Amino acid sequence: MMTSNAKKLTVSDIIYKVFLWVYALISLYPLIWMAFNSFKNNNEIFESNPFGIPTVLRIENYTNALSQYNVPRYFVNSLVVSIVTVALTIILGLMFSYATARMKWKFQGVAKVYVAMGMFIPIQALFIPIFLLINDMNLSNTYFSLILPYTAFNLAFTTLVFYGFLRGIPIELEEAACIDGAGIFRTFFSIIVPTVKPAIATLIIFTFLQAWNEFPLALVLISEESMKTLPLGILFFQGSFSTEWGPMAATMVIASLPTVLIYILFSSQVEKAMTIGGAVKG
Amino acid sequence: MDRFFSNKKAIFLFAAPALVLFTLMIFYPLLQVIYGSFFEYKGLNPDIFAWFDNYKRLFQDKLFYTSVKNGLIFAAVITVYQILLATILAFAVSNAKVRGRSFFRVVYFIPVVLSVTVVCQLWLSVFNEQNGLLNRFFEMIGMEYSQGWLSDRHQAIYPISFTNAWQYMGYHFALLLAGIKSIPKSYYEAAKIDGASNFKAHMRITVPLLQETYKFSLIMAVTGGLNAFTQMMIMNSGGPGTATYTLTYMMLRAINKTYEFGYGMSAAVFLVIECLIATIFINKIIAKERIVY
Amino acid sequence: MKKMMKQILAVLLVTVMIVPLAGCGSNGNSTDDNSSSNSDNQVTDTNDNDNNVVEDNNGSEDEVITLKIYAQYSDDDTKIPYDYAVQELAKEYPNVKLELDVQAQDDGQKLQTYAATGKLPDIFQIGLSQINAFKESGNILVLDDYVKSTGFEDKLNEANKNLLYVDDGHAYAFPYAGNEMVLWYYNKALFEQHNVKVPETYDELLEAVEKFNEVDIVPLSVFAKEKWICVALYDAFATRLEPKGVLKLDKGEASAEEPAYVEAATKLQALVEAGLLAKGATNMNYDQSRALFYEGKAAMFLNGQWEIEDSTNALGENADWMWYPTYAENPDAKYAVSGSGAPGGYAVSPYSEHKDLAAEVAAFIALKYAEAKYIYRSNPILAAKIDPSWEPEKEMSPMMQKLVDELDNITSYSVFDWGLSNPKVKVALEDQAQFILTPGYTAEEFTEALDSEMKRIFE
Repeated sequence: MMTSNAKKLTVSDIIYKVFLWVYALISLYPLIWMAFNSFKNNNEIFESNPFGIPTVLRIENYTNALSQYNVPRYFVNSLVVSIVTVALTIILGLMFSYATARMKWKFQGVAKVYVAMGMFIPIQALFIPIFLLINDMNLSNTYFSLILPYTAFNLAFTTLVFYGFLRGIPIELEEAACIDGAGIFRTFFSIIVPTVKPAIATLIIFTFLQAWNEFPLALVLISEESMKTLPLGILFFQGSFSTEWGPMAATMVIASLPTVLIYILFSSQVEKAMTIGGAVKG
Repeated sequence: MDRFFSNKKAIFLFAAPALVLFTLMIFYPLLQVIYGSFFEYKGLNPDIFAWFDNYKRLFQDKLFYTSVKNGLIFAAVITVYQILLATILAFAVSNAKVRGRSFFRVVYFIPVVLSVTVVCQLWLSVFNEQNGLLNRFFEMIGMEYSQGWLSDRHQAIYPISFTNAWQYMGYHFALLLAGIKSIPKSYYEAAKIDGASNFKAHMRITVPLLQETYKFSLIMAVTGGLNAFTQMMIMNSGGPGTATYTLTYMMLRAINKTYEFGYGMSAAVFLVIECLIATIFINKIIAKERIVY
Repeated sequence: MKKMMKQILAVLLVTVMIVPLAGCGSNGNSTDDNSSSNSDNQVTDTNDNDNNVVEDNNGSEDEVITLKIYAQYSDDDTKIPYDYAVQELAKEYPNVKLELDVQAQDDGQKLQTYAATGKLPDIFQIGLSQINAFKESGNILVLDDYVKSTGFEDKLNEANKNLLYVDDGHAYAFPYAGNEMVLWYYNKALFEQHNVKVPETYDELLEAVEKFNEVDIVPLSVFAKEKWICVALYDAFATRLEPKGVLKLDKGEASAEEPAYVEAATKLQALVEAGLLAKGATNMNYDQSRALFYEGKAAMFLNGQWEIEDSTNALGENADWMWYPTYAENPDAKYAVSGSGAPGGYAVSPYSEHKDLAAEVAAFIALKYAEAKYIYRSNPILAAKIDPSWEPEKEMSPMMQKLVDELDNITSYSVFDWGLSNPKVKVALEDQAQFILTPGYTAEEFTEALDSEMKRIFE
């Protein structure tokens, strides 16, 4: 009985292990392929060396890609939009959640549900009015035309996370501060903000990824080349380079490298953050 | 203490910014979408009150059914793929005996941090008819399976859905993995003593305990699928013809191409309702009570 | 009321935003909006020759008049004609100075803003859709009289009058570009090598498709990921029976159930089933499709006449073009081509202080543009007649020379996809034209879908 059980385990272990490696390959190989291609010319990609490591490093693919495209500019735009969105979302979300979770006012329950409603509304459905609104507010082709809707859409999730978190904090913390004579604002900044740091870390990651990858709304709202975010800006290199796969791959590498590096550096942080993300009641 | 917590000025300063922003950017547009869906537009302004004409047209429009169908297929593919794989991989990686765990953890998540356009371009090259990795692979192993992945009007939706499924699987994987870590080890040890295999232990402990996580994942995957747009837009422009259109695509076409704002808004309202039903449904089927092992 | 609410919300929002933002120091980025980039584009053209300045200083009888002009000036194709026109203008009108405002690549938004704020330049380049908008708001001068008084009309080919007058019968802009067309390119060498006759009829085309398929050569390369070329291919067949092709559908003058349109779909579908296109053609972009033709992997290729130069460079004397194959029942359709131009070109502001002069100058510039394009850009697709005295700088390629020689034979132009004026018809047609290029899509499906859309649109 014991032996057969042990044997079964090893078999399933092997299957598991093979599967893990195969999926790792599926996750990584397209990227490796892209990185390899970025150093090759068409002949190598199609004829002489389609799958292997490049034999000659054709750096000119990168210089061509950089001189042809505004990738650095798109990158900066994406970074600005994502960072400001993250900052605004967290500031507004935390303040709002504090008001609904802790403070006492007539409509706090209604307000909480009202904002949480955002979880169920697809951003895509609101394109047309948002597009008109941004035009009316004269914000077309500015960073704020993206930051404002992105922030609004991320508020729902953010407030849910903060709400749950704040509810879990013992009230004694604030009572002590109150007795010490601290006002509500000082309490908020010196007691609450440091306490919710783990939740903030989660939300930075969630919100950043959302903003970083958002595409449809940017497509509708941004028409000016200099304001395009990364997903939008590199959309069009497909047509221009498609017969020269090397520079095209180089452009993709340039566009991906920073986030991949940042992620690898902070991956343990990301995993910690996910614990809280997953615990949210949807 | 009550005075401390009912400081009117503080409440206002704390709550107002989020409320204003949310109202302006979501609630007000939502009302406008509903309102606008009953109108025929002239330029950018609602012109003639059209009762339910837009909806009538919607339900007669073949494109609408194609779009809804594609949304459902997309949602089904990514939900099954992402949640199934995320579960299997998370179970395996959480097992202390598996070597290279930290490597797998990083690798499975990497596609998530790439820009969505890069991922689409990448898979576009992989699926490329003439020189793509996939067809070359089939060629290499001598299989007559090379095909027009993205140009077949009946099949194209699948590679497109796969692209999304591939990119965001890691998201669900990370959520589950984190969830598993938060479950006390003693639960699993108890299961092991009962003679359950690793996998069985997970099915008996992890899945029930991580209901909330699964619910969240499900809602994200299903509504994300219903809203699909980016992949079809980048990979084959909703084509061939309109074969890979979705509701969001229909809406954008009404804004950018045919200038029928009211009609686009009726599709938007349908999308909202669809997502709402999906969310409520998921909340219903996943029971609230937790099963304690 | 609604507007007010929006404004109140906006003000509230902005106030609210400033507080948290003050600390994070990133809000400065939002202020560098388009205003700064516009001023960069403002190139003041200092084309004044010395005489001009001297005259001005001497205060002689000819006062220098400065006209503002809004024109494209971004690449050789736009810079060379502009510079040439300015240089010629200085000879003919020494007292006129142009101040160039470079056209932004923004779908006419900047011009729209100029019109809305009453700052229209004296002369501006404009396309058809904006002509229609501007004439309704009274922001564009009717040029009917000037067309006659400047002799501009006499300098146009009869077939090109469609470029001067819009649907309401008036002229609003002096055109310089001619009617463009879709050319059916082919690789002579491949046809000879595989002993295939260059098809003149549909049956011959079908035969060619079969023969090329046998030797693994793509018969016709089409970048069908772009929908306009799908429409062009469909239109090439539709014009076999109805010279106006899809233009009639656009105007609601024909039904999709008429034989010309049904037949086009049927024949096209039969060809696709026979293997006319590369596998996955509907997902193939311009570069990929062009590469097939240039590398000798495809026998024929479809694109506008603007492809002549590149295909000559790539294939040398093996590159040629042919008239679209005709149906046996209507060989007269040979000279009906798909494509066209649209009214557009140099327009004049009705608020100009010197509108008579501006109109004269606009007509002059448009003609000089045509001249420059022929001489320096080897481009014979012009609104104006080609003057025998113009000597192209470079010898024209054989394909181009053939086009120049045959240009007068063309009996009709239909329209390009982007020239379709009804956006709903355009979208429906684009979708169906791409669909019909996928194997398994039937002509019945095509007709049914297009017809029901058209019925709804024109009900």
